[in-house]
Amino acid sequence: MSLERPDSVDDAAVERTPDELEALLGDLVVDRDDHLNAPGFVIRPDTVQETLSILKEQAGYDHLSVVSAQEYENRYESIYHLKKFDDPTQEVSIVVPADKDNPVSESAEPVFRTADWHEREAYDLIGVEYDDHPDLRRILLPETWQGHPLSMDYDKDRPQIATLPEHANPLQEHHKDAESDTMFLNIGPHHPATHGVLHLKTVLDGEQVVDVEPDIGYLHRSEEQMAQSGTYRHQIMPYPDRWDYISAGLLNEWAYARAAEDLADIEVPEYAQVIRTMGAEMCRIAAHMLALATFALDINGDFTATFMYAINDRERVQNLLEDLTGQRLMFNYFRLGGVVWDLPEPRDEFFSKTRDFLDHLPESVEEYHNLITSNEIFQMRTIDTGILPPEVAKNYGATGPVARGSGVDYDLRRDDPYGYYDELDWDVITEDGCDNFSRLLVRMREVEESAKIIEQCVDLLEDWPEDERNIQANVPRTLRPDDDTEIYRAVEAAKGELGIYIRADGTDKPARFKIRSPCFSNLQTLPEMANGEYIPDVVAALGSLDIVLGEVDR
Amino acid sequence: MGTAPAQLFPEYLVDTFGIDSVLGDVVASLIGAALVANIILAFSGVAGPWAKRKITAAFTDRIAVDRIGPYGLLIIPAAAVQLLAKELIVPEGVDRPTWDIAPILLPASAMLGFSVIPMGHIGPLNLHLADPEVGLALVFAFASIASVSLVMAGYASSNKYSLLGGLRAVAQNLAYEIPLIVTAMSVVIFAGTLQISGVVGAQTETLVTIAGISIPAWFAFVNPFAFVLFLTANMAEIGRNPFDIPEAPTEIVGGYQTEYSSAYFVLFYLGEFVHIFLGGAILSVVFLGGASGPGPESISFIWFVVKVWGFFLFTQWARAAIPRVRIDQLIEIGWKGMLVLSFANLVLTAVIVGVIA
Amino acid sequence: MIGLMKSMATTMKHALDGTTFTVEYPEDAPEVSPRFRGVHKFSQERCIWCRQCENVCPNDTIQIVQDDQRNGEQYNLHIGQCIYCRLCEEVCPVDAILLTQNFEFTADTKDDFVFNKEQLKNVPWYKGIDPLESRNPDRGAWIGEGDGEVDYQ
Repeated sequence: MSLERPDSVDDAAVERTPDELEALLGDLVVDRDDHLNAPGFVIRPDTVQETLSILKEQAGYDHLSVVSAQEYENRYESIYHLKKFDDPTQEVSIVVPADKDNPVSESAEPVFRTADWHEREAYDLIGVEYDDHPDLRRILLPETWQGHPLSMDYDKDRPQIATLPEHANPLQEHHKDAESDTMFLNIGPHHPATHGVLHLKTVLDGEQVVDVEPDIGYLHRSEEQMAQSGTYRHQIMPYPDRWDYISAGLLNEWAYARAAEDLADIEVPEYAQVIRTMGAEMCRIAAHMLALATFALDINGDFTATFMYAINDRERVQNLLEDLTGQRLMFNYFRLGGVVWDLPEPRDEFFSKTRDFLDHLPESVEEYHNLITSNEIFQMRTIDTGILPPEVAKNYGATGPVARGSGVDYDLRRDDPYGYYDELDWDVITEDGCDNFSRLLVRMREVEESAKIIEQCVDLLEDWPEDERNIQANVPRTLRPDDDTEIYRAVEAAKGELGIYIRADGTDKPARFKIRSPCFSNLQTLPEMANGEYIPDVVAALGSLDIVLGEVDR
Repeated sequence: MGTAPAQLFPEYLVDTFGIDSVLGDVVASLIGAALVANIILAFSGVAGPWAKRKITAAFTDRIAVDRIGPYGLLIIPAAAVQLLAKELIVPEGVDRPTWDIAPILLPASAMLGFSVIPMGHIGPLNLHLADPEVGLALVFAFASIASVSLVMAGYASSNKYSLLGGLRAVAQNLAYEIPLIVTAMSVVIFAGTLQISGVVGAQTETLVTIAGISIPAWFAFVNPFAFVLFLTANMAEIGRNPFDIPEAPTEIVGGYQTEYSSAYFVLFYLGEFVHIFLGGAILSVVFLGGASGPGPESISFIWFVVKVWGFFLFTQWARAAIPRVRIDQLIEIGWKGMLVLSFANLVLTAVIVGVIA
Repeated sequence: MIGLMKSMATTMKHALDGTTFTVEYPEDAPEVSPRFRGVHKFSQERCIWCRQCENVCPNDTIQIVQDDQRNGEQYNLHIGQCIYCRLCEEVCPVDAILLTQNFEFTADTKDDFVFNKEQLKNVPWYKGIDPLESRNPDRGAWIGEGDGEVDYQ
């Protein structure tokens, strides 16, 4: 369990050395369990809140990225991956073992609001119970589910038949409450504005929302388990495309590629990094175009022209991606150590197509500004609605355009550089409005930044010497990372920080594969934005969060 | 006032066929009503399954229906058969017969409105069924029955989305009916009559003549401010973008029509289009000189069609471009903005008319 | 009001310029990139029954049946379950399985999508294009140089 890696990857940037942190935590630290990305401290299961509040308040670790739980032969374990919003390269992992027979561990929810859902997920899938948790229920699986699918003794052949009493409508008795003036409304799971199968349990007072609670899991496919049963080398890569399936595929693939490459110590050739960067930014444009399109749909109503125009632009960039990767959504283009194909021949044609798209883009963006952002009614609808203050956003672990729309200057492409981003000239976009309008503006402006990045990549690729076009490092056909190495790595996906935690057990398949989905954390902020607003504002706030249920539910 | 009112359509029938009796009047009126109703239904039939799709497609760079028939026109019978062949699902707990009456009431109320609308001439025929002295008041009364239908549907559906839609419909109609009628009143002050032929007649005079082209004294030109007010209130009255909040599919699914399927849905759908055309007809009567236009009077039906379809096109254009306002914002615009402006307009008009006349 | 006017002007501009982005499919079949991954084509003549494709397939879409001499008997592929990741083509040392650009396939039941080797052999090229050409340059990264002309039929 102790894995001493003094040459931990990010040590250089850490303000406090691991030893200083250990000193800060004092007696709370029981043991060390360092991960490849961060020092890890083992603590007792009843000191979680104390430890995390010291780290949050005294050491500045204000971002709880993810809680990944797992079961070992002799214990359960919850890992709290902490970071700083100001400098995400400063990481620390808090490892909380729990008893095998009675896996109870203290909840981190009072310290980090975001732990609420993450711990519910750990409870649901692994079976760790969290003391002091406000609402420890299943989150992804139905309430009636028997067993915890990622635990070791889970019997997958056991029929999941719910008897009638358990199957009864849990809302039935609340249907008519003579005392209250409120109305309970199920928005979804099938509703035009939920962007997939999301269920919002809404309590209304007239048209105003008193309380909204997202109910997720309708699209749960246990992607983590699918990854755990695939080989590192080939079989995992096709699946990240299917998390955030709204054309953000390459960004997702990069999340897995980055984690696995750092785990197996694979160096990616520079040429491949440039291609990756270009492809990923194309995906970002496609994803943001769809976000803009559906947001316009939510505000304008169906048949709005903005939707179709944005879909047009997304089609154009998808054509480029199709030329590059061979697929329009499920790219499977990255490989560990590089990419599968060089740019399509003839290269000049691809470059000129890309440049045509980039030339056309400012005109399109101008058109969107004319259509929506400068429209008075649109402004009336979106400005000062769905307010998410920066502190709340941080507390909920919101990332990506949602956090940047609240003025949180956090972008892993710049703060924790990977790929070719640190060599290129571009800006991180933030807006201070904290409202629906700001989140939209951030996305629209990020499209322009992405275009800048693509343009620079095209310039680089055009001039790349022909004999140095190495698209893949030499990676063995079977990868077996060392036993008990653990890593958490994140990239800036279209929706925010998409992180992967992998624990290797010496085989060619991961022992634990945990996905930190940005949408999952972002969606958790919805009640903060929507409570007290009108129904149309809930819809607008949901649209501005830009969630993809495939990634929320995984 | 301009020309003498032309002979009404039922009177024409009575005269032509010499059936001058009570029974004759009834028969002639029924024939006239059937003709007008069929014209309007034909409009709606073309608009719903075909024209709306084509127009929306033009705004969004698409092709739209083009599979069956020339320009895809045969989609109209195909859609009719398809919609009517669907199963009518009656949800548990609906309040019948309210639930059944509501979808009939909507197209019926809009259709009634056409009884007093002058639809212009086809040759010697004057497509105008009745011309009572309070015609304008009557047409507004008919048009606003629609909101009763929406409330009935929303209430009877036993669905919370429907209920919200019904409530929104009432709130919206209250907020916009008053500015609409008050703005129309300013026109009545100009015309000095509530009789529709009188209102139309008042607009036949020439306002100014520029370079040989005489511009008629349509109230839209006389008082463009009132025209814009009326147009906006009219959009809200018929529940089109940006005021389609009783339906608001992305918020409350379909509002009052959520639970309706098959023939009942067709009735609602049809009723909405009839309502749009009625809105266009009222607009043309009150502000655009009725069915008048260049050319001989015998083809003035064409001008009526052009005006009504122009309004339809405008609603679809707004639908493609303009976001939907929120219910509270709508009420605010209605009560705090439009109402004040419409009364200001009324007072100003009254003063000006008083001073000039 | 100016913003509203701008919105309406923009949509009207699109309506009046008369261009459409959609096409009249199927009369106007879309151009598909040479790299596009569609339904598989299999060549028994080339296959050496090494079962690498079966092993690499992430979701067990390929099923190979061999006799006790390790001679291939069946090659079944569920084109409805396939996720079109192209890993089978990538690992195949002899180009025996290839993803055509053909994206048009329909069936009455899911079972009809289980293709045996004959059906896989008869999958038509999309617009008669053999995509191997465009993919070939990079195959060296995986399997070394291919051995020249390939006859799939």
